[in-house]
Amino acid sequence: MPAAAQIRVMVVDDQMTMRSLVRTGLQQLGFQDIVEAPDGEEALRQILSRPVHLVISDFNMPRLDGMGLLRALRSHGPTAKTAFIMLTGRADKELVQKAVQLGVNNYLVKPFTVQTLKEKIEAVFGKLT
Amino acid sequence: MIAPEPHAFRSDPAGAKRIHVVQGEFAVTKDPEVMLGTILGSCVSACMRDPLAGVGGMNHFLLPGEQAAKGEGPQALRYGVQSMELLLNALYRMGARRERLEVKLFGGARVVDGLSDVGQQNSEFAERFLASEGIRMVGGSLRGDQARRIQFWPVSGRVRQMALIDPARKVFEAERSKPVRAPAPEVDGELELF
Repeated sequence: MPAAAQIRVMVVDDQMTMRSLVRTGLQQLGFQDIVEAPDGEEALRQILSRPVHLVISDFNMPRLDGMGLLRALRSHGPTAKTAFIMLTGRADKELVQKAVQLGVNNYLVKPFTVQTLKEKIEAVFGKLT
Repeated sequence: MIAPEPHAFRSDPAGAKRIHVVQGEFAVTKDPEVMLGTILGSCVSACMRDPLAGVGGMNHFLLPGEQAAKGEGPQALRYGVQSMELLLNALYRMGARRERLEVKLFGGARVVDGLSDVGQQNSEFAERFLASEGIRMVGGSLRGDQARRIQFWPVSGRVRQMALIDPARKVFEAERSKPVRAPAPEVDGELELF
């Protein structure tokens, strides 16, 4: 069982308030190593200089959106297997299906509870300790 | 115009088109004839517009309040965050840019639920959200004791506010008669991919 504290997470959303909510939820679940980026471009820059185990990313963002970030990570050898959970709204079904084709590991429909966040992460990593 | 659920246009004698935005919903438009309207007790509406892109919209949200959000802590804010995000994303899709947005906030009348003032919580959340996200607040009318009727013409930015005779508590009870509506469900049963 993976320890939440050992998993390095990148939270990507152009809204600081949403990043802060996800961070708070992750901290409640025992995650300690959390980094943030306001768009896909900045996330990619940070991940290439220091890899993460899990990316939780919004779809709609300026510069590089969530889909672009997923595509970039999957097409680059060292980051190709990085776990990726997409944040989405109800209206984004087609995008989720496209993300699945690109290899997204799971998705999370906003607004979500901490329990749902936990379930989605455990669906990717297995039960957290 | 974008709205999450079908809205019927109603035309007044002058030919203006009106959309009523209820709790948990939002609407955006580029049509200068469209007026977005709502009634607010302790709920808050953000009236946003990008004057250069000629697009604007309105949301209407209510945080769950102390009794409904027992033990949720900061996560109770997710309803407000989601409402703001849906409105912002719809505006961006229609050509708006964050740095050009002008926002007026309305509502948040004082209603005490448990030990806390729900209107105050909604107002504080909305103001803090705009400040955190670097979005310009240019006016509005928050707090007070009176329920309000708001009419917003998104393209021109004009807003008309009317104080209602009903005290905020009465409108609040109507707001609370339905559970707090989030703009999107947590579980989407039609999409089983994992």
